[in-house]
Amino acid sequence: MKIVVQKFGGTSVDRPENRALAAAKVIKAVESGLSPVVVVSAIGRKGAPYATDTLVSVLKDIDPQVPPAPRELDMMMACGEIISTAVFAHTLQTFGCKAIALSGGQAGIITDPEFGNARILEIRPHYLHRLIEQGYIPVVCGFQGITQPNDEYEHGAITTLGRGGSDTTASALGVALHASAVEIYTDVDGVKTADPDMVGAAKTLDVCTYEEVAEIAHQGAKVVHPRAAEIAMDHNIPLWVKSTFSDAPGTRITSNEAPDAVRQRLTGITHTGKLVYIRLEIDNAEHKPHVEREVYRMMARAGVNIFLVTFSPNALSFTVPRKLYPIARDLLDGMVVPIALDEPDSKGKLSAYYIFKFSQGLDLAYSVQRPLLAAVEKHVRIVDVPASVIENCTMVSVIASGHRRVPGIMALIYETLLNAKIAVHQIADSEMSVSFLLSEGDAQRAVRLLHARLFEK
Amino acid sequence: MSVPASETQAPNVSFERERGVYAIQITRDVAHAEVALEDDSLRSVRILQVFRVLANSGVPIFLTKLHRAAITFAFVGADLPRVETALKTVGVQTSARRDLALIAVRAASMRDLSGVMVSIADALYAAGARLFETGDSHNSVVCLIEDAHTDAAVRHLRKTFHLDAGTVQVHHLGTEVSG
Repeated sequence: MKIVVQKFGGTSVDRPENRALAAAKVIKAVESGLSPVVVVSAIGRKGAPYATDTLVSVLKDIDPQVPPAPRELDMMMACGEIISTAVFAHTLQTFGCKAIALSGGQAGIITDPEFGNARILEIRPHYLHRLIEQGYIPVVCGFQGITQPNDEYEHGAITTLGRGGSDTTASALGVALHASAVEIYTDVDGVKTADPDMVGAAKTLDVCTYEEVAEIAHQGAKVVHPRAAEIAMDHNIPLWVKSTFSDAPGTRITSNEAPDAVRQRLTGITHTGKLVYIRLEIDNAEHKPHVEREVYRMMARAGVNIFLVTFSPNALSFTVPRKLYPIARDLLDGMVVPIALDEPDSKGKLSAYYIFKFSQGLDLAYSVQRPLLAAVEKHVRIVDVPASVIENCTMVSVIASGHRRVPGIMALIYETLLNAKIAVHQIADSEMSVSFLLSEGDAQRAVRLLHARLFEK
Repeated sequence: MSVPASETQAPNVSFERERGVYAIQITRDVAHAEVALEDDSLRSVRILQVFRVLANSGVPIFLTKLHRAAITFAFVGADLPRVETALKTVGVQTSARRDLALIAVRAASMRDLSGVMVSIADALYAAGARLFETGDSHNSVVCLIEDAHTDAAVRHLRKTFHLDAGTVQVHHLGTEVSG
């Protein structure tokens, strides 16, 4: 008995005609002698009546001043997939299929109790196996599980898996059921070399490695969630990305050990993030590491993730998500880092206080804090740390496996951007990609130009 | 909404990776160069000249960073003579060193974790290792430090992130060796 897990996203199940197309994929699998297990997301995207965001707003609108508890929020969010599962199972039944709708808990998905971002701990597949043996097509809610039924505190509570939850459900079920393949159905016919809405000439990749697809997803393309790719990679489950709306073969995602995997190549261009680039001028090499660590510490305390960190001899630069920038700025504006000196300096000062100063208009705390330090200035050296900001940035990435062993990629990309007079604020790279921090207004042009240069010649 | 009581426990399979830091990877014999650049209208053109001359010399570079008055990048230590020769042809002021190592701290969904950078910085500081450059991606933070401080740095990082010796990998020019 060969099992295939077929996952259908929100746009594949939002309308009767789309559900019919999705059902046809399931029926085709049955006719091919496979035993399908279906995973579905909530119906539709933001704004649709049963979409996750819509359900969340039902709770949030009760009193905007009182945020819903994570446990109740998860219970509410899980309803979207429960509705979708019942609708899709019934759709299959109307086509004469013996389908049965299951919640995540009924499918045996056990998670930790981290509501809103639960991690799958185990899957008890016996009930699913029994249903499959009886000829049923199980239709399982994506994005959800339950805590241990015998957990002392959270007795079988409904949890949701967080971002990419339905893809994660599909991959994990694929592992638990020893599926021959996991098929992720979406509204594009595979993994593309760029966002097709942005680049009309974007091509569909026939084969892609788990690492490449995880990188593409992390860098902004919404194909398969990286968690799902990582599960498939760790267990070597064949993964496919296909379209519900076409018969195109899709993209096969495989291990980089596979004979047809390409180890050094360009895979695609992505763009992601609304970012703000912050630069702090710290003009003292000896004290700089200490001041930097205090910046990291302050950001970590407030839950602000910083990345694209760059050390210059007299500066520290980093990027924060734009939605967190007001928090980052409020934390840094007027922040004082005191450093005791090993011995008095030439002016007899015993310590140095570094105080962060944004440009005028953004320095409210500094303007209040700085005069207060006048009282200690007799014994303390006060050093301003000017902070400059580039708002409205985004990151354009070229997915290039093995680029650290291939000369010339940086030159090629930089030349393309320079010729188009696109300013590069900063560069970052990982084993799998080279990324450029650009002004948001240049992102679309940069993606198109890079795609034309790297994939259309 | 519950798991049928008749079911027995499934085999011990780990579905999702542990969240947080799970491994450290060391790459030795890494070099780092700083090329001084005037902060003027020709800066971008000079940066491209540097990239081109390195490409033509067959030197792959990484950890490339733009600074106001310089550009810095890392490369395999063995390429140092070629880098120095290549950059001389562009006529830029360069300083380079070959006594560095890359330490990569690996985590699942690194960018969803706050506080990793401060933990790494504290561990490296405790090890007496100066951080020359850093790079970050969704699954790692890479730190360029003096090779002489590598062992101490790894010791402090392991302690910070509660990692056992088996989680440390040594990466030699594309070949991974457990250790």
